[in-house]
Amino acid sequence: MIVPRDFDEAGQHGGAGGRSSANGSREPKPSDEHQASNATDSRPSGTDLLDSKDRARGRVSYVDDVRLPDLLHAKFLRSPYAHARIVSIDTSAAAAISGVKAIITGKDTPRRYGVLPVGHDETALATDKVRYLGQEVAAVAATSPRVATAAIRAIRVEYEELPAYFTICEAREANEHWIHADRPRNIEKEYHHVFGDPDAAFRSAVVIVEDEFKHPRVTHAALEPHGTVAVHEPGERYTLWTSTQTPRHVQQGVARALEVEESAVRVIPCAVGGAFGGKSETFPADVAAAILAQRSGRPVRFSLSREEVFLLHRGRPESEIRMRVGLTREGKIAAVACESHQDGGAFCSYGVVTILYSGALLCALYDVQHMRFDGYRILTNKPACGPMRGHGTIGARHAFEVLLDRAAAALGLDPIDVRRRNFLQENSRTVNDLRVTSYGFPECVEKVEAASKWKEKHGRLPSGRGVGFGASHYVSGASNSIIRGTFPHSTVSLQTERSGELTLLTGASEIGQGSDTVLAIIVSSVLGLEPSDIRVVSGDTALTPNDLGSYSSRVTFMTGNAALEAAEKLRDKIRARVARRVGVAATQLVLRDRRVCVEDDPQRGMGFVDSLKLLVEEENSLTTTGSYRPPPAAQGGKFPGAGVGPGVSYSYSAQVVEIEVNRETGEIKVLQVWAAHDCGKALNEVAVRGQVEGSIWMGVGQALCEEQRFSRQGLLFNPGLLEYKVPTTLDTPPIDVFLVESADPEGPFGAKEAGEGSLGAVLPALTNAVYDAVGVWIPDLPLTPERVLAAIRRKESGEAVAAETDSEATSILSDAIKTVN
Amino acid sequence: MNALPSFDLHRPTDLLTALTLLDQHRSDAKLIAGGTDFVVNLRHGLETPGHVVALSSIPELNVFDADSKSGLRLGALTTVDTLATDPRIRSAYPVLSEAAASVSGPTLRRMGTLGGNLCLDTRCQWYNQSPLWREACGFCLKKEGTVCHVAPGSELCWAVYSGDIAPALLTLDAELVLQHARGERRVPLSKFYFEDGLRKYDLGVNEILTEVRVPASRAGLAGSYHKLRSRAAVDYPLAGVAVSGRVTGTGTLSEVAIGVTAIGPCPMLVREATRFLEGKNLADERLAEVVVEMARRTANPLHTGGGLSPAYRRLRVGLFARDGVRALTDKLDADV
Repeated sequence: MIVPRDFDEAGQHGGAGGRSSANGSREPKPSDEHQASNATDSRPSGTDLLDSKDRARGRVSYVDDVRLPDLLHAKFLRSPYAHARIVSIDTSAAAAISGVKAIITGKDTPRRYGVLPVGHDETALATDKVRYLGQEVAAVAATSPRVATAAIRAIRVEYEELPAYFTICEAREANEHWIHADRPRNIEKEYHHVFGDPDAAFRSAVVIVEDEFKHPRVTHAALEPHGTVAVHEPGERYTLWTSTQTPRHVQQGVARALEVEESAVRVIPCAVGGAFGGKSETFPADVAAAILAQRSGRPVRFSLSREEVFLLHRGRPESEIRMRVGLTREGKIAAVACESHQDGGAFCSYGVVTILYSGALLCALYDVQHMRFDGYRILTNKPACGPMRGHGTIGARHAFEVLLDRAAAALGLDPIDVRRRNFLQENSRTVNDLRVTSYGFPECVEKVEAASKWKEKHGRLPSGRGVGFGASHYVSGASNSIIRGTFPHSTVSLQTERSGELTLLTGASEIGQGSDTVLAIIVSSVLGLEPSDIRVVSGDTALTPNDLGSYSSRVTFMTGNAALEAAEKLRDKIRARVARRVGVAATQLVLRDRRVCVEDDPQRGMGFVDSLKLLVEEENSLTTTGSYRPPPAAQGGKFPGAGVGPGVSYSYSAQVVEIEVNRETGEIKVLQVWAAHDCGKALNEVAVRGQVEGSIWMGVGQALCEEQRFSRQGLLFNPGLLEYKVPTTLDTPPIDVFLVESADPEGPFGAKEAGEGSLGAVLPALTNAVYDAVGVWIPDLPLTPERVLAAIRRKESGEAVAAETDSEATSILSDAIKTVN
Repeated sequence: MNALPSFDLHRPTDLLTALTLLDQHRSDAKLIAGGTDFVVNLRHGLETPGHVVALSSIPELNVFDADSKSGLRLGALTTVDTLATDPRIRSAYPVLSEAAASVSGPTLRRMGTLGGNLCLDTRCQWYNQSPLWREACGFCLKKEGTVCHVAPGSELCWAVYSGDIAPALLTLDAELVLQHARGERRVPLSKFYFEDGLRKYDLGVNEILTEVRVPASRAGLAGSYHKLRSRAAVDYPLAGVAVSGRVTGTGTLSEVAIGVTAIGPCPMLVREATRFLEGKNLADERLAEVVVEMARRTANPLHTGGGLSPAYRRLRVGLFARDGVRALTDKLDADV
């Protein structure tokens, strides 16, 4: 990349500072004052996560560790039917059990809520009917979990069963008993987008490939199950401790469900044991705990079992994608057409966003000028899907990358060369009005192409062995908030008092990904401190300034920018005050090594903490605040659905995998993954690498073995971590991670996201590698040995694959191919 | 996590006390050793005993004699990890250590015991579920219901025996020592299991499996264990094949035994393969095909869970048997 690498250079000089930095990596351009002051900044240096030692020793406090006097334990009664009308509920026998303190049913939870403004379709407990097997029907708070369980079993419910719909096809064909009466034919939402002139563009293509891809329903598998503790306080106030990525979403949802002001609900996120998207909204336990606490006058805890986490789900939907890609003679993408159906389960959750992402982000990795997208979010009688790492993009990206390979094969071109002919330009806009700023994708491609020795391997390895390429990208924070309003997306405060301790307050919640740490790194590098010098208080809605939360890969970029602004304001205050004391101009002062001192005469100055105390003496207390709003130019177009897809920036990933396929058994062994991720700037390199590796690990699981399976009655066969197959460490291939630093013009120190963008590439890379290894295209996932073997046998049994794909999937204009070849 | 149900926990320190407790409480008592399987089943409400008798403090169950002259004596409390790692077992009974090493993951192998693994409850996707789940499907033949959802017309339960160690011990002619308060009886492992996921095995409610014995004649056999699973650890087998046997320097086979697991309610020997392979030479090209077919005939799995079809599991049983017989040559090469 050609963007200046100021911080690299400063870093190589051991943070000695003193180097004038034009800081081309940040825009809008800071004032001259800021520029001069940046000369004192050292490159942020990585560090252990602030809480890593405590986490490893089991010393952080999860929601299950919250201990309160008189705490009650709550359990849900769940529906044994997938779709049924509730005729009656009799709780009298349960209420008579000693130790039972409160029982609630749907009558007590009438108010609907939902995370999206267009999707208020849930109640904490089922009111008129149940919509999936396992839905919450009643809740009991009792003096022990055992009493609560006994009480649940004593509740009698009469149901009248309704026809249930478990597949996209069944749901769409239903003429009656729709899952939600206001969603005819069980279509939650549909979108039809056309950009450019795809019909004409397809006519200009010399090769068109098309296929139908089926992707399974998969789950986050965060190690910590969901939990909540609620307290009801005088004056109709509530405090909730909960395991969440988004305290503000929970605050809003609970307030809506309880019909109280948001200010009456305080949400305190505990340490989160993994989330991956699965803890991004208000859940029935949050609402029910609050109501049970109010009824019983005692604190109430829900602690979900693993099975209950599977029933809560909110993971990736099963999807069916029919996609068509055309290439021109020059190997340029002529057009893309995508029809995407997602089986979203019984409620909306984030579903409208998921379906929109699956279309919008088809355009922001390569230069696509003509595109058609038909997206359908379908309701079924299964647990509701929601956001999951790589939200919405994974299936569509798989289809696209596989079809690009197939089109390249049809044209006789190298798959990576085809990608290279279709790069976007940095600082450009896509056909669907997404703003692209930094674009390190070409460098990502080069890195993995070279490291994997692609040119020596692709098409040249012995039979059974193959390499495959895949690419992906992700928003570095969504430009548009799902909480409506004109407030900043992130606000960060730095405050201190007499002791001189510096506290960073942020509403973003630390979910194990290192968000507290990256904010401390940003602030400490501006103030000449170590990250551990800063006390980070995150998430508590009563103490911290507003922040949308830790989702859509937004914290480093958005909250980081807010932290940077707060730190710069504090630095300026300190320099102004110390300058008066020392008798120099503020511009002569630098902050480094925990001191505020004259740049070329470091003995003149004072310790950082003393400088804070000096300020506190004068101002009583001291707080600086920074905030971040996405620039209007990044907020996308005006068409219906345009709000989803725009990010303030995008990360990019290119990957090559090398695999071995056993022709006799269909088993795939992943020998090596090479992954290059454009994160803008790695503020904490070990953490960034960990995120990339974790994304790939998750992607490998989805590509090879993860899949939720349901019975015909809607029973999930594998609601546990024994039967739901996430890979173990032994299944994880060696991963070589290359970080590409494209220095985003608006990211803090040039940084953008690292947590999601690398997930999508590995799935198509594996599918493409299977073709390179054994010559079969398998559109569906996961690539179980059985599925791979069936494809190999189909090929070997003489059903000429070429003929099959000709008639069913690929229409090749043979004359044109001859010309090309 | 689901709460454990209430029960009385007994921790006897000698075998007779334990056996007396069983006599007293009969089917209302259950045994726990490592608990790696039993505790999960308790939490799922599959077991609801009034009394649980913990075996971990009973010294008689800790016998461990791997002197190959008198054969192998293994107390029921021998951990799976010991079977996997003990150098004497690894060298003299490789099929056993390989099978043990494939069980679950390191922590569970250190907790899980030989006795527990042999007496593993049979498993099925319609059975190993929570009370809510089982209620929703109307329960099943194995517990509280009348229908086997795997084979709806069947009078037998088709839940699958999923232990990895039993097939290895089958190929080694192992014998079990079963004690009751007034004495003991010995049962060949090959007669211990029933072809019924409900009755499972021949162990009375008043009996404890105390010891496993392997005859000295089976020491020094070459052998290997092959396991089909969706991931490399923490996974029950979807098919498992153990092969033991002897090969002469010229490639002549003798005493070959093939044990199969996780394809039905009980582990089984492929007896016709033993007869067929006796005296055959490994260089014989027909062997592979016949062994594959014989193993496939023995294995007839049904849809009991795990995401791979019965047909695929059966295919792999055949290939594993063939690979296991071929692997006997590795031993041959090592000898030469």
